[in-house]
Amino acid sequence: MFRFGVVALCLGSLYAQTQPNPEALWKEAVTLHQQGKLSEAIKDYQQLVKMYPDQPQLRSNFGAALAGSGHYAEAIEQYEKAIAIHPDPKVRLNLALAYYKETEFQPAIDELTKVHQELPDDKQATMLLADSNLQLGHNKEVIRILQPLYKSNPKDLAIAYMLGTALVRDGQTAEGQVVIDPILKNGDSAEARLLMGMTKMSVNDFAGARDDLKRAVELDPNLPDVYAYYGSALLSTGDQPGAEKAFKQELAHNPNNFDANLRMGVLLKQNDEFDKALQHFQRALRARPGDLAVRFQIASVLVQQSHLDEARVQLEQIVKEAPDFTEAHVTLATVYYRQKRKADGDRERQIVAKLTAERQAKQPGVKQGDAGTK
Amino acid sequence: MKRMWQRATILLVCFASVAVAKANSLTCASCHAKQAQSYPGNGMSHALMTAAESQVLRANPHLSVKKGIWSYAIKREGNRSLYTVTDGRETVTVPLEWAFGIDVGGQTYVFQKDGQYYESRVSYYKAIKGLDWTVGATDSLPKNLDEAAGRIIDPGERARCFGCHATHATEHGQMTFDTLVPGVQCERCHVGAEAHRDSFSDGMTAKPIAMKKLSSLSTEEVSNFCGQCHRTWAEIAMNGPMSTGNVRFQPYRLTKSKCYDTEDKRISCVACHDPHKPLDQVTEDYDAKCQACHTPSNAKAKLCKVASKNCVSCHMPKVELPGSHKFFTDHMIRIAGANGAYPE
Repeated sequence: MFRFGVVALCLGSLYAQTQPNPEALWKEAVTLHQQGKLSEAIKDYQQLVKMYPDQPQLRSNFGAALAGSGHYAEAIEQYEKAIAIHPDPKVRLNLALAYYKETEFQPAIDELTKVHQELPDDKQATMLLADSNLQLGHNKEVIRILQPLYKSNPKDLAIAYMLGTALVRDGQTAEGQVVIDPILKNGDSAEARLLMGMTKMSVNDFAGARDDLKRAVELDPNLPDVYAYYGSALLSTGDQPGAEKAFKQELAHNPNNFDANLRMGVLLKQNDEFDKALQHFQRALRARPGDLAVRFQIASVLVQQSHLDEARVQLEQIVKEAPDFTEAHVTLATVYYRQKRKADGDRERQIVAKLTAERQAKQPGVKQGDAGTK
Repeated sequence: MKRMWQRATILLVCFASVAVAKANSLTCASCHAKQAQSYPGNGMSHALMTAAESQVLRANPHLSVKKGIWSYAIKREGNRSLYTVTDGRETVTVPLEWAFGIDVGGQTYVFQKDGQYYESRVSYYKAIKGLDWTVGATDSLPKNLDEAAGRIIDPGERARCFGCHATHATEHGQMTFDTLVPGVQCERCHVGAEAHRDSFSDGMTAKPIAMKKLSSLSTEEVSNFCGQCHRTWAEIAMNGPMSTGNVRFQPYRLTKSKCYDTEDKRISCVACHDPHKPLDQVTEDYDAKCQACHTPSNAKAKLCKVASKNCVSCHMPKVELPGSHKFFTDHMIRIAGANGAYPE
């Protein structure tokens, strides 16, 4: 990854200043970087980029040191500058990885799509692209990306795990089970139990899901999403305190977990802890920018807090983007009535009645009138 | 001038009450005697009681029913009612703690087991004078003894149940058993009633603390106010049920009426129901409420071609809530055919 030698030669031949000596500084930076003394290496890189701002490899190395020490936003800046000077798919992959770590999944996808076009056989880039889409809930896109890779690597459990997850989340339970079957046969693993739990959740077998997810937690408490799913299963089986505890544990591992933030926010909203709920919703929104469910929750908190104008603007935008979002129309009607806008409220109520009738008409076997009137 | 006299009268009553308060502390009834006298006849005041106080349990010292493989019994022992569930091999017996509802329709019980609160899987129904599945309990049949005994009530649901059936039962969505007063008492609706009362107890040295005037609420606001417990249109529209199961959620049903108007107080909940009085069961008594709008001089509200009295018997038909052994008045006011579909 680091082309230290080449850059060192260039720098050495270009500059022969004594204070500070670029060659010595460069060697020191590289040594410190390789020794894992990142904060000291970063100081050296900072001096070097001031002297040589147009060296893409230097920017790239600086970005790697910053990313390694968790300064992803600064790393992104360095990687972008490096790419602007000289586009390099490997640096772009690092840039995407930094975006991923920063939970900026859409920019990560944008960069990874470019990398995937240039390096279609790069498994790491493909997996990261699929995973970023999975984080955003783009399950169909994950399936589209991974299916060719799965066909050429049918025994790769990591690919099967991610593809199986996307299929189950997309409601393609039967197809998902075929893909995850090798994982289940590979012995009792946290991954297998998580997938089993997710599958059972998708068919509303919450008690069964809870048992599998409990086992998954026992086998590997660090498995991504495991506590979020366990919390959801606990919530669905009536164990709210257990669910809260599980969501908190997921967030301790990954503060930006979408599901854990969304569900934790809903629980806090129910307890009238609106400010804390908003913090979780904002985090969830950061993980999935523009997510309608989260935006609706934020708007409903604003209604609870009587910030009616702000809520109305958000709800009007939501129903514009999603005209069939019944709950948003319901809440918007409530806001209009509270703001004494009767005509607008009545209009929203009519939309709700129409949407409800359409939804019921689509449900087979549901009778409109089964009342035993007397 | 009239208002002045009214105020003076209230003050006189209050002063008189304050004098009494030297020995007996003031109550809401001290000044609002009329409401206080009639309110105990309203079912809301007895919406919750301890199992020890339950008249249903006292009057029925031995209740039992067999449902499938499960046998249920509630036996009175002194002031306790013991709830026993068995399949012949395993048995659980727990004391009932709380009784939800009154004997007009039915009563459901809450008990604790292993630190969890449970809703009893069987309830008492007046119509059958005995036990049957609790409404909603047939959604899934019990797989084990715990499930046969009841359904775990999570803390959020528990706060909502007690929050509606009792007073001072919750704070910020959390249960507060230490302050809970069973039933819907003054302060449950009239927030600030106690501070208002106490300001009079203070010998009138300070300006009395006013309460929010609920009579100033619009029709929509009243619907949402009553709907806190009887369910709002928004709650049912979002979460359902979209079936005859929603007939007991009157604010939702009323909102669906063609004549419902968010700003017309003649269609508000309190236009027909005085919450301080027992529920009027005589259907003809509501005719005047309908005729507040449906008059020959009002072209917008048509006159009935069939009858001129007992409007609600046709236009607000009784609908059976599945599993409840009870018919509820459908508050969706409409022209309902004899075998017409239930508009969900």
